[in-house]
Amino acid sequence: MAELKLQHIYKRYGNVTAVGDFNIEVADGEFISFLGPSGCGKTTTLRMIAGFEKPTEGVIMIGDQEISNAEKGYFMAPEKRGIGMVFQSYAVWPHMNVIDNVGYPLKIQNVPKEERLQRVKKMLELVHLQEYGERLPSQLSGGQQQRVALARALVAQPSLLLLDEPLSNLDAKLRESMRFEISAIQKDLGITVIYVTHDQSEAMTMSDRIVVMSMGKVQQIGKPYDIYTNPANQMVADFIGLVNFIPATAKGDRIFMQGYEGISFPNPKKLSGEAVLAVRPENITISKTGGMMEGVMNHRFYIGDSVDYRVKVKDHIVRVIQKGADYGAYQDGETVYLDFDNVMSFAKEE
Amino acid sequence: MKKSLPRLDSKFIVIAISVLLLLYFIVFPLLVLIYDSLFINGTFDISNYKDVYGKKVNWKALTNTIQISLIVMVASVIVTFPLAWLVGRTDLPGKKTFRTILVASYMIPPYVGAIAWVQLLNPSVGYLNDFIKFVFGLQKAPFDIYTMGGLAWVLTLFYSPFAFITISRAMEKMDPTLEEAARISGSSPLKTLWDVTLPLMMPSIVAGGLLVFIAAASCFGIPAIVGMPGNIEVMTTRIVTFLYMGDDKGIRDATALAVSMMVVANGLLMFMSWMLSHKDYTTISGKSTRPNMVELGKWKWPAFGAVAVYAFIAVILPLTSIIVTSFLVSMSKGLALDNFGIDAWIPVVTSSQYMESVWRSIGYGIVAACIGTVLALFVAYLSVKTKVTGRSIPDLLVVLGGATPSIVIALALIVTFSGNYGLNLYSTMWILIVSYLVKYMTMSVRTIAASLSQVHISLEEAALSSGASWIRTCKDIIMPLVAPSIVAGWFLIFMPSFYELTMSNLLYGADTKSLGVLLYELQTYADTQNASVLSVIILLIVLVGNIILNKVTKGKVSI
Repeated sequence: MAELKLQHIYKRYGNVTAVGDFNIEVADGEFISFLGPSGCGKTTTLRMIAGFEKPTEGVIMIGDQEISNAEKGYFMAPEKRGIGMVFQSYAVWPHMNVIDNVGYPLKIQNVPKEERLQRVKKMLELVHLQEYGERLPSQLSGGQQQRVALARALVAQPSLLLLDEPLSNLDAKLRESMRFEISAIQKDLGITVIYVTHDQSEAMTMSDRIVVMSMGKVQQIGKPYDIYTNPANQMVADFIGLVNFIPATAKGDRIFMQGYEGISFPNPKKLSGEAVLAVRPENITISKTGGMMEGVMNHRFYIGDSVDYRVKVKDHIVRVIQKGADYGAYQDGETVYLDFDNVMSFAKEE
Repeated sequence: MKKSLPRLDSKFIVIAISVLLLLYFIVFPLLVLIYDSLFINGTFDISNYKDVYGKKVNWKALTNTIQISLIVMVASVIVTFPLAWLVGRTDLPGKKTFRTILVASYMIPPYVGAIAWVQLLNPSVGYLNDFIKFVFGLQKAPFDIYTMGGLAWVLTLFYSPFAFITISRAMEKMDPTLEEAARISGSSPLKTLWDVTLPLMMPSIVAGGLLVFIAAASCFGIPAIVGMPGNIEVMTTRIVTFLYMGDDKGIRDATALAVSMMVVANGLLMFMSWMLSHKDYTTISGKSTRPNMVELGKWKWPAFGAVAVYAFIAVILPLTSIIVTSFLVSMSKGLALDNFGIDAWIPVVTSSQYMESVWRSIGYGIVAACIGTVLALFVAYLSVKTKVTGRSIPDLLVVLGGATPSIVIALALIVTFSGNYGLNLYSTMWILIVSYLVKYMTMSVRTIAASLSQVHISLEEAALSSGASWIRTCKDIIMPLVAPSIVAGWFLIFMPSFYELTMSNLLYGADTKSLGVLLYELQTYADTQNASVLSVIILLIVLVGNIILNKVTKGKVSI
């Protein structure tokens, strides 16, 4: 029973709208990421769900119960919401050892000591910290503190778990492995998760659905695959993955590349006037013999599993990534030909 | 490598000179004092202590001091913790103004506060006593300031800002998500305060409390003005009484008392810094979340009322009393409209004797501040910016001086620099200035060191690699960045020096009577009005100093 509903949620600070018209229905057991650049309103939304911020407008529901209703002026206190939360700073209490930290939510619920220790022990096993129960947080590494915070958030078996950029203070390798661990725990417990991050690969690998946010607005809600292959607008296309934008003009059912009036693409969105074509670097093929358009090889970067090319086409630099390409196959200054595949189109944004 | 060698040498010379100066003016006098208390004519003899503590009056002074300081410490913490929490962590209306008012008594000389409370609560003509008598139709004055309770009351009001500043700083530094984590774990706001906030604050609460204890125990001005008329003696007033006797025996007794005070005060401070460094409560703090203010709800206005009443009683009432008294035409006629005028001001501002003291004290303050700031800059630079062995020794010596009770410093300087050990500064302005430096340089060093440590080494290295010489780097990069803290450091020595009483009172000579001493004399000769006028002059200078300080440091540092 952990469906989460946000209906027309707004948060304003004076004249500034931090979050505008946020709507989502999260299914039980779903893993949702809020993804966006810093200041996009993702953390504010999470804190409204937790109860640390009050929405200016809108209703938040867990299951059938309203936990926040701005119109009625009703805001359930955070401690009544039965939510687990992991903070970016971990917020592990430095004056309590690991067992006391993890057991605190149970202590508040007056769970008898025996049972409490049992459940804490189980949680510590889940996060691989069973050896560390007696330690103080200052004796733990960042990654271990992170696990303590996770165990504490899960110990009371909340139906909803909120994670606020939990991995951003960890080093790259640990971040990678924690990603899969959190995913595994979530699947294991069948818990609903809201995960805030600015790291797109985190969101892509872990989530059932991603909410892409920018400037306080929801730009798109969708599965990782849909968001990547079919972004709702230019902002989403730009924020998720790499992309080349090419100015274009839409006429009827075709979109014409500016400066290459002979080259056109289908216009499924029925755009008209100024438009933007977008193509991901891996969807461009490069050849010496011929293709849609001619360009000059500008730069090549050897990445290991692929080569990252910059090709000058008229006034544009087009980025092309080819898996398993031979670095020496092209020379700088050489004339090359490009073919575009999976071209996306958007209305021009200001 | 060739270039860096002579620089290391010059740094070493600077460190050597400052260590020698500090050793000579801080450590040596204290050692002489301890030696004098333990040796009579060169032989070890603890009869000084036996004599002193054999007398009932001295025991009484000791127990009074401990008793009063404990009361003041506990009361300060009890009052201060909720105030710091309300002002720092809730949506209390007008909290910025309250913060300013609550730390204001920190910059008022304690003896001015004592004079104000004598005016308000003396049993015969206290304004507040009269007012309460009038309102409730009482025959007798309800309060008598000249009691243990009165002394504890004034000390609490004037030293609780030490606790307030310490505790509210720690509260601001605490990661608010630690409290949010408790809330989301199911804990109510009050339970969170108890389970998380209070334990995390405990080291600073203890530290703040100890600071108050030491300050209250070392204070001379307030017990002298409030306690003495009621025959309540504390350690500091006993020491001064012994010294006033003027003979060798008096000095020896004073020495024994002073050494016991020094041991207690420095011991407590050492314990405090050990405790603060021992408990490692630092955690990784995340991005700066908007500090989550506790909403007081229906308690908002009752809390506002309580804080307002406290602020009024602690700060506004005594200040008003001083100002009003200075503008009364005649003390005996009381508060009436036709009794207001500048009559009391004219004799003060036209008296060459009074004005000389005012200018003299400003002068001494300026000299002390200039010398002190230069020394503080060396000491701070050495301890923060260099890797020389022993770089933090000067810093430690300065802290030792600041931690020693004023009265002990004064006594140590008397026994050391009266010519018995070469240098004779007795009755000169230099003995006063040395005493101010010993006592007040520590704040200045702290401020400048904090600012210097903010200038990351890479900023200097960037200038050096851009081709600037080391001197040029100092001029173009370091100085502009730390200039505000140098100005702040200057004022932090100037202000307490110019209104200093405790040490000046023991060290002044015929031609070096300072403002604090003059004011104390006027008050003890029961010339309250002139004392009030001089108090208002002091307050004005302090106010101007603070405004300048605030402007220069953009509100980061104030007394």
